Amino acid sequence: MTQDKQIKGFAKQLLKMSFENGELCVERVDGVLKTLEKNNQRHQIPVLKAYLKLVEREVAKSTAVISHAGRLSPELATSISKQLSTKYGRNVRPVTREDRSLIGGLCVVVDCDVYDASIASSLASLESSLS
Amino acid sequence: MSSVIEQIEQQIANLQSKTVATNTGKILTVGDGVAKIDGLSEVMYNEMIEFPGGTIGIALNLEEDEVGAVVLGESNHLKEGDEVKCTGTLLSVPVGKCMLGRVVDALGRPMDGKGIIDSSETNPVEKIAPGIIERKSVDQPLMTGIQSIDSMIPIGRGQRELIIGDRGTGKTTIAIDTIINQANINKVGLASGDPDFRPVYSIYVAVGQKNSNVARTLGILEEKGALEYTIIVSAPAADSAANQYLAPYTGAAMGEWFMSNGMDALIVYDDLSKHAAAYRQMSLVLKRPSGREAYPGDVFYLHSRLLERSARVNEANGNGSLTALPIIETLAGDLSAYIPTNVISITDGQIFLETDLFNQGIRPAVSVGLSVSRVGSAAQIKATKQVAGKIKLELAQFRELAAFAQFGSDLDAKTKAQLERGSRIVELFKQPAFNPIPIEQQVSALWAMQNNYFDDIDVSKIVEASNSLRDFFSSRKEALLTSIREKSKIDDDLDRELKSAVDEWKTSFN
Repeated sequence: MTQDKQIKGFAKQLLKMSFENGELCVERVDGVLKTLEKNNQRHQIPVLKAYLKLVEREVAKSTAVISHAGRLSPELATSISKQLSTKYGRNVRPVTREDRSLIGGLCVVVDCDVYDASIASSLASLESSLS
Repeated sequence: MSSVIEQIEQQIANLQSKTVATNTGKILTVGDGVAKIDGLSEVMYNEMIEFPGGTIGIALNLEEDEVGAVVLGESNHLKEGDEVKCTGTLLSVPVGKCMLGRVVDALGRPMDGKGIIDSSETNPVEKIAPGIIERKSVDQPLMTGIQSIDSMIPIGRGQRELIIGDRGTGKTTIAIDTIINQANINKVGLASGDPDFRPVYSIYVAVGQKNSNVARTLGILEEKGALEYTIIVSAPAADSAANQYLAPYTGAAMGEWFMSNGMDALIVYDDLSKHAAAYRQMSLVLKRPSGREAYPGDVFYLHSRLLERSARVNEANGNGSLTALPIIETLAGDLSAYIPTNVISITDGQIFLETDLFNQGIRPAVSVGLSVSRVGSAAQIKATKQVAGKIKLELAQFRELAAFAQFGSDLDAKTKAQLERGSRIVELFKQPAFNPIPIEQQVSALWAMQNNYFDDIDVSKIVEASNSLRDFFSSRKEALLTSIREKSKIDDDLDRELKSAVDEWKTSFN
């Protein structure tokens, strides 16, 4: 348990070093990884796994995955990411992907938050209200 | 059929596509009824969360990197990577009079095959107990129908009275007798049309019991006509630890509805020892630090927050009450074990049942010396106080002398008289299971005892005599019993009538 805490604590410190101007910086992450490789310290694999998990979480916080069925204009995607950036107080960049299972509408995922405005979810809630 | 189609058409017409915002997570591990979840950044402690397939759970461990949640229901279909959603609500259960006569599980879902419960209201399972200002002192009696309890360890509405003893000493029987007696009183009171009559509704919470035991209890309540005033919340031994942990709180939520709506309710927790064991199991799987006997550190809080919800509230808060009869099973009569001492310190008294007394044939096996009601005579009608005031003292003297008399030494007349009186009182208090005695019958029998009508009857025939007296009164002196019940005290007129009636009975019995 104590060792796990130490590893997680160290990974968090590495994450702090990976930021520039409040945002995750690719060059800094690269630098951290190269330093770790060079130093070849104890528990390197668990530290890397913990660091990877934290970086993935940070990336997810700064990414709005916009799933859409049909066409989605770049202007709409930009508008969505601007509103989310304002809401979360950090830069959120959009990543779009097509998902025909939504039938229509959009579904936006930012880390743990899901904003579902799709036809599929409306039909699912109608189904649950009828059952 | 056409109304169903109309309903569907209306719902489709009202269907609007709107944005639904949810907070989600992914299952990391699931096993032993506990799921570890990554994500759920907005989840709050005790919040209800939704697993795939409609399964729900409660978030109990909010750790830095993950959330530990107990799964309420089947977890076989859950797997790593499944999405979990926050609901933003606390767990609530259906409440109301529609629950009476039904058997439900720990989530309030029916399990008696009698169809859906049409409830318009829900209450949260976890709720803060009424504060000091909202309460009122306990001064209304709750008749158990058990002579030894109603006369010497009286229980009031809003009190918490623990029933404690080893296995097979009659703890559940006392609780069921109390429920049956409430139903009997309800029927008589409601039939009388008295506008001031307050019925008592009962809730029986079975935690970790065998299904056969619950079925037997259900059968008994049905047979005695008590089920229509009773809700049964069942979390049997085959249920998950989470359901067994939740069931008493579900029962309390249902009881609180009666209390906050100006009615009186009785709740039986059978039993809290198994409840503590289920909580221990859950806490160990959640990797919470364990303490004494491997129980988590907050096992006292587990029961204190449950039992504090039983109270008598004042007029401003509904003027209702919730009386609790928690049951604890001891091992080898050890009252000083961890969980028993915890619950004894929380409750307003205990009824201690002894194996030795049970084996001697003294049933109910109530140990008068170790049992106490901290509410006391404030919860007794005056008639009972008048006839039973000295009973406890007489029994205490009898017990002291009985040990002395074993040695067979010559005894003086006074000692012999005390021994004779004591042994007759012990015989009088013997009562068959599931046959609660109305308070007016108890008063008449105790009056006869206090006025020496049983002194010339052989000790071995006291049970027969008391049964005969009760039959005589119920068949030929119903008006007198009604007077005792309505007046609730023995005035000079009632005293004369009682004397005349008991004289008449004695002649016929001899």
